[in-house]
Amino acid sequence: MVDITITVNGEKRITSVPPETTLLKLLREKLNLTGAKLGCDAGDCGACTVLVDGVAVNACLMLAGQANQREVLTIEGLADSQKFHPLQKAFEELGSLQCGFCGPGIILSAKYLIDAHPNPSVEDIRKALSGNLCRCTGYTKIIEGVAAACRKIAGATDKAA
Amino acid sequence: MDDKARVGERKTAPKSLPATDEALRLPAVTKKAMFPLETITAKPREQTPSVGQRATRHDGRLHGLGQTKYIDDMSFPGMIHAKIKRAGVAHARIKSIDVSEAERMPGVMATLVGKEIPVNRFGPTYQDQPLLADDIVRHAGDGVAAVAAVTEQQALDALEKIRVEYQPLAPIFDPLEAMHEDAPKVHMGHSNIYSSKTVNKGDVEKGFADSDYTFEGTFSTQMVEQASLEPHAAIAEWDPNERVTLHSSLGRITLGRADLARVLVMPINRIRIVATVVGGNFGGKNEITHEPILALLAKKTGRPVKGVYSREDEFISSTTRHPFIMKYKTGMSKEGKIMARTVRLICDGGAYCSWSDTTLSKACILSAGPYNIDNLRVEACAVYTNKTMTGAMRGFGAPQVCFAYESHMDDMAKELGIDPLEIRLINAFREGSLSPTGQVLESVVIKDSLLMATERFGWKEWKK
Repeated sequence: MVDITITVNGEKRITSVPPETTLLKLLREKLNLTGAKLGCDAGDCGACTVLVDGVAVNACLMLAGQANQREVLTIEGLADSQKFHPLQKAFEELGSLQCGFCGPGIILSAKYLIDAHPNPSVEDIRKALSGNLCRCTGYTKIIEGVAAACRKIAGATDKAA
Repeated sequence: MDDKARVGERKTAPKSLPATDEALRLPAVTKKAMFPLETITAKPREQTPSVGQRATRHDGRLHGLGQTKYIDDMSFPGMIHAKIKRAGVAHARIKSIDVSEAERMPGVMATLVGKEIPVNRFGPTYQDQPLLADDIVRHAGDGVAAVAAVTEQQALDALEKIRVEYQPLAPIFDPLEAMHEDAPKVHMGHSNIYSSKTVNKGDVEKGFADSDYTFEGTFSTQMVEQASLEPHAAIAEWDPNERVTLHSSLGRITLGRADLARVLVMPINRIRIVATVVGGNFGGKNEITHEPILALLAKKTGRPVKGVYSREDEFISSTTRHPFIMKYKTGMSKEGKIMARTVRLICDGGAYCSWSDTTLSKACILSAGPYNIDNLRVEACAVYTNKTMTGAMRGFGAPQVCFAYESHMDDMAKELGIDPLEIRLINAFREGSLSPTGQVLESVVIKDSLLMATERFGWKEWKK
């Protein structure tokens, strides 16, 4: 068993898991955070995307042990009791998701993009989401949703300044 | 102590639940309130304009919050995990299956082979498919045995200890070869052709005789996996009154109940299927797959049993879209009017029938395209091969024939030197046209649609 101390969504969690456990299994089965999904277990579909120290990773390809002493953000940590993340708001309002299975991964990939580039072009958005597969939407509304969220964030910052 | 003293006296009446929509809409969660309180949903009975308004999905918010519970996100106390061993050979007779070593593996609670299933045959059209192959393996993705263990990893480890002895049989992969009389037979019987359909309209010979030109073309499409992002998943659980509940990603739960009742030999009222949000279906989750296996493993172990397909299982053992081979022959007048057409469709059904019969009918009816053809003959058949079985996938045969007849149309337009739009306008259905099967069509606006669409996307400009 491997001992793991991990900060998930701002909360310190201490646990131990068999060494072959992936970060995804740790989150889903040990910590009951089922937002990240298992789609392919091979790093192809991106449904398991989470942010580790602010970087988007496929949680199915990362061992739980590798995430020891690091900070993980899952979809559950994105909204707080006060408000949605603008991405979640935009995705809901624009109907960006259909079956929703790819949603948590896509939203976190998009968050990774707009944290670094608050004003991405459509090409940037496409590139950032290239590791996330969606079989329902054809991506159009997802890309619109990310763009809308960026405009909203930009608007809020302008007002503050 | 009397009862009153023990429970304490109730001083104030309990507050009734707030009647607002918001309060009722909030899901119960154990975590600190993570749900924003604002809703953008209309109040009950509030009249809202519908046309021109943006509609939001009822489940859109939970999707974005990662709070939608798909089957794999659920678990029950004491739940164990099931995995299915795939044959890995295309065509073979099973000589023996030995699960004794697997049963001794750590964490393993039960195994299951095909012979233990009360009625090991199912299928939406013909009951030609075993849940776990018991006698003959007909494609590499056929399940041969299942294991239930405390963890998924233990179940996977145990699969490797299952010994299956096969006597190889000659496989057949090409649908054209499979149609030969002396080809190896996938199922018992005289032929691999298990469904044939014909559509006849007018006099094809006369139509070709009246034609100025004859064109021929052969088109083929490939197998396509639905690849819904959520794999097939289900959880089976029995109650002490011998009733089984299945939480399943199945799209057609009523059909699923009937199938379960048949294969488990149980009254249907003792079977409950709870469907949840499905993470993509596209036709691939329209029939039972591993549900009865999970139910039997749950009965053996007395535990809830969860089964989730791996992505590999999805590709090799779940249904796919039918590959078609489509031979078209069309007689044309000088002016570009279709005088006669014959179509020959060969549908590669894979190892089991599933929805092939339905698919073939639809492909047959639609194979002439949305065109006025007075003299038409369509002959279609579905053939067994030792490949992953085919089933429903978006359109039931319509996308395959659409690819063929529109490609054929373009080829003919090119040969005749007629504008591809023009040749379609000449032949397209109009008000009162007869469909290939003789229905009189009403409200036909295909020409208006074509003209409007080509104008909007700049067909004329694009051609220059």
